[in-house]
Amino acid sequence: MRNLASLLFAGGLAFLLLAIASQLAFGTPSMRVGAEILAVAPDEVGAANLVTAVLLGYRGIDTLGELAILFAAATAAGVVLGRRHANARRDPPGGEVLRTGADLLFPLLLVVGLYVIAHGHLTPGGGFQGGVILAAAFFVIILAQPTRHLRHSLISWIEGLAGAAFILIGLWALVEDGDFLAPLLGQGAMGELLSAGTLPLLSLAIGLKVGAELAGIMAHIAEAEAPDA
Amino acid sequence: MMSFTFETVVLIGALGLAVIGALGMVISNHLFRMLLALAIAESGANLLIVLTGFRAGGVAPILGAGDPAASMVDPIPQVLVLTAIVIGVGVQALAVALLIKVYQAYGTLDVRELRDRMDADVAAAAGVEADASQDAPAGGRPLSPAPSRGTAGFGRRSPAPADGLRP
Amino acid sequence: MIADMTLSRLLAADVGYLVLPVVLPLLGAFLMQPLARVSARGARILGPLLLVLSAGITAQLWLQLGDAPFSLAIGGFAAPLGILFYADRIALLFALAIPVFALLFWPEFGPGAGGRDQAARRDALMLLLVAAATGLALSGDLFNIYVFYELAAVASFGLVALTGTGRSQVATFRYLMISAFGSVFALLGIAILYMQTGTLNLAQIAQLAPETLPNPIGLAAFALMLIGFGVKAELFPVNTWVPEVYAGAPARVSALLAGLVSKLAVLVVVRLLVLIFPQPEAAELMLVLGVLGILTGELAAWRAKDFPRMLAFSSIGQLGMVFVAFSISGEIGLLAGLAVMLHHLIVKSALFGLAVRWSGSLEALSGAAGVSPLASALFVLFALSLIGVPPLPGFWAKILVLIGLAEGGTPLDMMALMALLLATAIEASYLFRVAIRLYEDTPTPVPPPARRDLGVAALLGALLLAVTVGLKPVADRLGEDAAQLGERALYIQTALPSHVARKD
Repeated sequence: MRNLASLLFAGGLAFLLLAIASQLAFGTPSMRVGAEILAVAPDEVGAANLVTAVLLGYRGIDTLGELAILFAAATAAGVVLGRRHANARRDPPGGEVLRTGADLLFPLLLVVGLYVIAHGHLTPGGGFQGGVILAAAFFVIILAQPTRHLRHSLISWIEGLAGAAFILIGLWALVEDGDFLAPLLGQGAMGELLSAGTLPLLSLAIGLKVGAELAGIMAHIAEAEAPDA
Repeated sequence: MMSFTFETVVLIGALGLAVIGALGMVISNHLFRMLLALAIAESGANLLIVLTGFRAGGVAPILGAGDPAASMVDPIPQVLVLTAIVIGVGVQALAVALLIKVYQAYGTLDVRELRDRMDADVAAAAGVEADASQDAPAGGRPLSPAPSRGTAGFGRRSPAPADGLRP
Repeated sequence: MIADMTLSRLLAADVGYLVLPVVLPLLGAFLMQPLARVSARGARILGPLLLVLSAGITAQLWLQLGDAPFSLAIGGFAAPLGILFYADRIALLFALAIPVFALLFWPEFGPGAGGRDQAARRDALMLLLVAAATGLALSGDLFNIYVFYELAAVASFGLVALTGTGRSQVATFRYLMISAFGSVFALLGIAILYMQTGTLNLAQIAQLAPETLPNPIGLAAFALMLIGFGVKAELFPVNTWVPEVYAGAPARVSALLAGLVSKLAVLVVVRLLVLIFPQPEAAELMLVLGVLGILTGELAAWRAKDFPRMLAFSSIGQLGMVFVAFSISGEIGLLAGLAVMLHHLIVKSALFGLAVRWSGSLEALSGAAGVSPLASALFVLFALSLIGVPPLPGFWAKILVLIGLAEGGTPLDMMALMALLLATAIEASYLFRVAIRLYEDTPTPVPPPARRDLGVAALLGALLLAVTVGLKPVADRLGEDAAQLGERALYIQTALPSHVARKD
C-alpha cells in the first residue's frame, strides 16, 4: 500500500519535473557569469584549465568547504568505527597473483596520481581527482593484503598538515593582499607546469589531504571486525 | 510533445535517475539498497547540473586543448558537480561505516527485522516485556551498551535468516 | 619592518576579517587530531580558544562597521564572479551567537569515554559544525550555502553517533538518508535556478528573479529547495529523523542541533523567500507545511513518554510555528518569525541542557523538584514562556504571529490561527503535566543536573528574564533587524560590484 502510494507520488513528481524542464532553455544557456569568467580568467588567474581556475580561484572557499566535508566524513567514520581491536579477525589475504599485481600497481598508481595533481591547472584533473587515484593505490594494497595495517598516525598527520597548508596559504593571502585565498606568487607563463601562482600548491595540498583521508577511511573499514561466516 | 533530440533524451535520463533513486530510497526495505538508491539519485542530480552548462558544439573549457575558435562550455557547473560528487562520496563512505556497525550490533540490515530486534534489545536491557510504543522506551537512560557488541548477541537469539546482509 | 607592517595591518579592523570566524575553526579542526597526539591539554584548549577568538572578531567587526550591512568578496574576486559574504545585523547576530552557544554547550572537558582519539575527533567535529553554521549565516552565494549546509550535516552525523549505541547508529543512518534525500532535491532546485539565471550570487538572482523565475518554474525551484534545506529546519514532512536523533545523541549535541543549527537552516530559507521568491504561493506552501508541523509535533509531544523525545517533538511544533510566522507577508511576518526563532533558540537549548541528566522516562522525574529545585524552577519558567504566558517573551512572540495571521485574513491564515491556538492548548497540557510531576512529593531516582548544565540553563533563564524586563528596547531593535532583513533593494545594492570591488 505504501509502495503503491510512493510509486504514484514518484510518477507525479517525474511528470511535474519533466514539465518544468521542458520549459527551461536547455542547450543554449545564458552563461551570464560563465561567459565573463571564460573571458577574464586567463588573465586574472593564469591557469590553462579554466575549471581549476574557478575551483581554486573564484570559488576557492567552496573548495575549502568541500575539503572540510570530506574531512568531517572521515572523522565521523572514525568516531563510528572506533578503535581497532588488537585481535580483530581479518579477511584472509588474496592469492599470489593478486598480491603481486597489487605490489606492481601501487607505485604506478602513485605516479599517475601525482601526475594528475601536478597538471591540474593545465589539463583535466586536479587535487581531488589525483587524490582519489593516490587513495586507490592504497585501496589496492588493503584489498589484496587485509592484514597489513596502515599507520593511522601518519595518515592523521598528512591529513591535518595538508589541510592546514591550504588554509595557511589562504591566510597568507589575507595578510599580504587583504583577501583570503587571493592568488599570489605571480602567474608565470600560461601552460607551464609552474604557472598560475599558488594554484599548484593548493592542488598539491588538496591531493595529499584527499588521498590520506580516503585511504584512512578504507583502512578503518577494513579493520572493523570481519563478520561471522 | 518535445522533439526527441539529444538534449531531451539526456534531460529525461538525468531527471529519471533522480526520481528513480528517490523512489528507491523511500520504498526500500533493506538499508544497503537505500544507500544504492541514494547513489543513483545523486548521480541523476549531478548529471542535471552538468547539463545546465551544455552548449551544442561546445568544447571543454581548457585553453590550448582544441580549436581556439570554438565556444567553450560553461565551467561553473563542472566545478559545482565536482564539489557535489566529493560531498556524495564522503556521505556514502560514512553511511557504509554506519551500516557495518549496525550489522555488527543487530545482525541484520532488513528494516523490519531491525525494528523488531531493536525493540527486543531495549526490552531485554530493561528486563521487561517489549513495549509496543516507540515513544516509551522501557528502562532508564542512558541505556546500557547493547548486549550485542560484536556478533555474539542477537545473531543467535532468534532464528536468524540465512544472511541478513544479502540485498 | 615587514613584521611591523603586518602587525599594524592585523590590528586594523578590516572587512577582510569576516572570513576568519569561518576559517579559523576549520583550521583548528584540521589540526586537532595531530595536535592531540603531541599535547592532550593543547588539544583540549584549542577549540574553546578559537571560539573565543571568532566571537571577538565578529564583535569587533560589528561594533566598528555599525548597523549598515556590508559585504566581502572572497579572494578579491568581485561578485558575481566570485563568492560573496554578506553581513547584515541578523547575520552578525547569528555569527556572534554561534561561538557563544558552542562554548556554552561544549562537550565535557577531558577525554570522556572512548579515549583521547575520540575526544580529538569530537572536538574537531564541533569546530566543523561551528564553521559551517557561521558560513550559513554569512554566505551570499547559493552553492556556497549548499556546501556549508552539507558540512553542518556531516559534522552533526558524526556528533550524533558519539554515543556509540546500536540504536543511535540506526538513528544516525536514518538522519543521513533523509538529509541526503533532501540534498538531492536541493541540487535539483539549484540546477533549475542556475539554468534560468546563469548565476549563483543571491543578489544577482534576486535582480533577475522577476523575469526569469515566474511561476511555475520559480515555485518548483522553491519547493525543491524548501524540502532540501528544510531537513535541518525540522520541516514537515522531512522531520521524521528528529525524535530518535535528539533522544539518542548526547544531550548537549541535541541542544546545539535543535537550538542553533535549525535556526540557521530557517534563516537560509527566509533569505531565499525574501530575495528570490516573493510570490505568494511560496509563502502559502510554507504556511501549509508549517501548520502540519505544528499539529503533528505538538500531538506527538503530548503522547511522548520520555523527556528528550518530548522536547524533540515540541521543537518540531515550535519550528512549524516559525515557518508559519515567516510566511506572513510584510515586516510583521519577519519580526514575528525572528522573535519566535530567537526565543526558541534560548529556551530549547536550555531545556536540552537540563535533559543531560533528566534523560529517562517522564515517570522517573516525579519529585525531582526536591532534589534539584533550581532546575525545576527553570523548567517551569521555560515551559511558561513556550506556552506563551505574559509577560514572558514567548507570549509576545506568539501574539505577533497571531496578530499577523489575523490581519492576513485569508482562509488559510484563519486555519493556521486555529491550529496555533489548539497547539498552545496541547502544549500547556503536556508541559504542565511534567511540571506537576516534578513537584510531587515522591522520592526520585533521577540525579540532579550537573553544575555546568545547570549553570548554562540558569544563564539562559536569566537572559530570558532580562529580555522580559527590557522588552521595549529589545523589540525595537528586533524590529529594525527585521526591516533590514526584508529590504531586498538594500541587499542587492550592497552586494553587487559597484560597492564591493576591493581589488582592481
